[in-house]
Amino acid sequence: MDLSLNETQKLIQDATKDFVRGACSREILVKLDRNKNVDVMATYWKQMSEMGWTGMAIPEQYGGSGNSLLDVAVLFEELGTGPVPGPLFSSAVLCARILLETGSEAQKKALLPDIASGKRVFALAFTEVQYGWSEDSIRMKAKKEGADYVLSGTKLFVDDAEYASDLLVVAGIEGGAGVSLFRVDAKAKGVSIRKLEGFMTAKSEVIFDNVKVSGSDLVGAAGGAWAGLDKGMLAAIPVLCAYKVGGCKKVFDISIAYAGERKQFGQVIGRFSRVQDHLINLVNHLDAARWTTYEALWKLDSGQDAASSVHIAKAVSSESYLNACDYGHEVHAGIGVVREYGLTLYTKMSRSLYHSLGAPKYHRKRLEKELKLVA
Amino acid sequence: MDFAIEDSPEQTEFRKEVRAFLETAVPPGITHTVDAANQPREQYELRRDLGRKLGAKGWLYPHMPKEYGGSDMSSDEVMILNDELTRIGLALPPYYDSGGRMGGPSILVWGTEEQKKRLLTPIFRGEVRTWQLLSEPGAGSDLAGIKTTAIRDGDHYVVNGQKMWVGSAHGAERSWMIVVTDPKGERHKNLSWIMVDMSLPGITVTPMETLATGGEGGAGGGCKNTVFFDNVRIPAENLVGGENNGWKVATTHLEVEHGGTGRLQDRRVIGEFIDYCREKHNGFAIADDPDAREQIAEMFIEGEVMRLFAVRNHWLSHTNQPRSYEGAQYSLRRKLGSLDISERMLRIAGPYALTTDERWAPLQGAIEYFQRDGITSLHPGATTDIQKVIMARRMGTGGREREQAGKLR
Repeated sequence: MDLSLNETQKLIQDATKDFVRGACSREILVKLDRNKNVDVMATYWKQMSEMGWTGMAIPEQYGGSGNSLLDVAVLFEELGTGPVPGPLFSSAVLCARILLETGSEAQKKALLPDIASGKRVFALAFTEVQYGWSEDSIRMKAKKEGADYVLSGTKLFVDDAEYASDLLVVAGIEGGAGVSLFRVDAKAKGVSIRKLEGFMTAKSEVIFDNVKVSGSDLVGAAGGAWAGLDKGMLAAIPVLCAYKVGGCKKVFDISIAYAGERKQFGQVIGRFSRVQDHLINLVNHLDAARWTTYEALWKLDSGQDAASSVHIAKAVSSESYLNACDYGHEVHAGIGVVREYGLTLYTKMSRSLYHSLGAPKYHRKRLEKELKLVA
Repeated sequence: MDFAIEDSPEQTEFRKEVRAFLETAVPPGITHTVDAANQPREQYELRRDLGRKLGAKGWLYPHMPKEYGGSDMSSDEVMILNDELTRIGLALPPYYDSGGRMGGPSILVWGTEEQKKRLLTPIFRGEVRTWQLLSEPGAGSDLAGIKTTAIRDGDHYVVNGQKMWVGSAHGAERSWMIVVTDPKGERHKNLSWIMVDMSLPGITVTPMETLATGGEGGAGGGCKNTVFFDNVRIPAENLVGGENNGWKVATTHLEVEHGGTGRLQDRRVIGEFIDYCREKHNGFAIADDPDAREQIAEMFIEGEVMRLFAVRNHWLSHTNQPRSYEGAQYSLRRKLGSLDISERMLRIAGPYALTTDERWAPLQGAIEYFQRDGITSLHPGATTDIQKVIMARRMGTGGREREQAGKLR
């Protein structure tokens, strides 16, 4: 057993740390958070693609660098410390892995190199008005018209759609069972993407109004996309969990630092056991998220059955990030809710990612099946 | 024991009178506003108008003595008045008035007869809105560690320093603040309270940008300000409770702030959210899901415990009974309970709980606001940790002498 990172992973970690310190300092991120007109893509995307990050999760034969999921997770843990916004996860990890599992050879050759180079940005249009991440929560239906399809309906709270050049749309086909996947140009006629405001990041309403999709943009078998879609999502989820681990870690670091410098009643507040309790709770959440996440990654990379571990990691990390931020706020009190300070960036992200790719409740239900508690 | 607010024949008459008064006195558009964070100026002005009308009848601070603008109203009648206001989505006072709610009782206990008449009457009659000024950059939990000074100079005190986490939007006519009157004095024996006219030269009010920033707000969320004092000259007659006696005055102020007087208003957002879950929106009802129903029930239970602690404190304080840890207990439960409820709402409603979007937000964004407010409300009026310290002292843990609750009358 060896739970340490290898040399490549340490290099990835250092390079990402430098990036977050420089291009994504807290000052810049606070500005991005406040100013709705700042363009996240213009700020980061070119640099991210030049660093090769858009191709890490894609095999070499499709223009990527074929890194392990653990390598990719190391990158995302550091990005999570920002927390650096943007569609890197949605496009270069989630959609890339789904395309790998579901696409034809021709589709993979056509699309994955463009994702790897950063030319195309994909977002997964999965969730609908009755929000959920199971196969049966897909109610949208495509209509077959000759060799082509017509899509109509609403996808809601779609992560990163606002940045996308391409959408991977999950829908059934009228008259058939199961779900299918369609690649749709984000600028296609009849597609409207509207960013939703609130205490969340980068979630959009995506409306499809009689959108024509060529038969060649059906990804995977008609009605038979679920297995590959699910496999791709299960591979991507722990990378998102690593991003949350990074968030927990940063909240822990700034809370420890604050408790060590803020003085009240003539001493630093970290000496008070009540404040220590918050920090202990915080680090317990951090470590629970970290080790459930990294074991799932190891299982995926080594080709083992990872389903249970992935469900555990997502269930734990969603709760952990939420709670870690709560304890961070208990330690900081007033200054923690001043936007300029930056703690609320993580709080907002923890809420925003809580349901993405399945809330803890969904993953507990999946775990019930893995544990053979239900059929 | 009787939890019901059951009206006697006289009280039934009083309720009728209150309802009739409110029907004519309350203008349209200020009832049931869900978003305290975005209360516009005109809405605030309408609330102040209503405050003056209530004040003219002695109903703004009805439990306070008649001679200073209250009504000497009995606890039961105050409950009726509150009940009728709650019914239409308002409270007493119908605007943010922290300096009145907490400074009022403090001046009543610690002021001279002349000060009570002069300072309390305009507050209780709704003629002024008053903010409380306590925290500073270096003094949050440790209130006694404040640095803002008020140095005696003839008939005036000259004030210099900085206060933060102050008030709301739309300004205030007065501020009730704690200051250092003896910079070389012993801790706890160097403080005083003083009433400040906010139009005096040398006062600068700067809004803070917080997670729940914007609008009128209330005790937790909403707009907060930093207030700077640069050689502000305040008449010495406005110092209340005696020079360097401020820590004793603070016990009354903090007792009210920490929830010692309780309150009867429900967390309206809980009931409204449950209604929302029961109704069909966008083709489905959240309550159709049995897991969601269980969460809703748990959330409701937490809300009921919070409400009952508040009802108990209201009863204790309005019937002048001895209290110890109850104020801090309510405050602690309210802070942690509200955060817990907000997170349950997130689990129940999914990302809908996070959006203010006109098309998709439940209750016009009230749930999204509650997500932020649950966090920002953790620290005002003392952190959860401080509330625990107060509870422990007042329970006499470890065989220590039990600390007494702050004097309210």
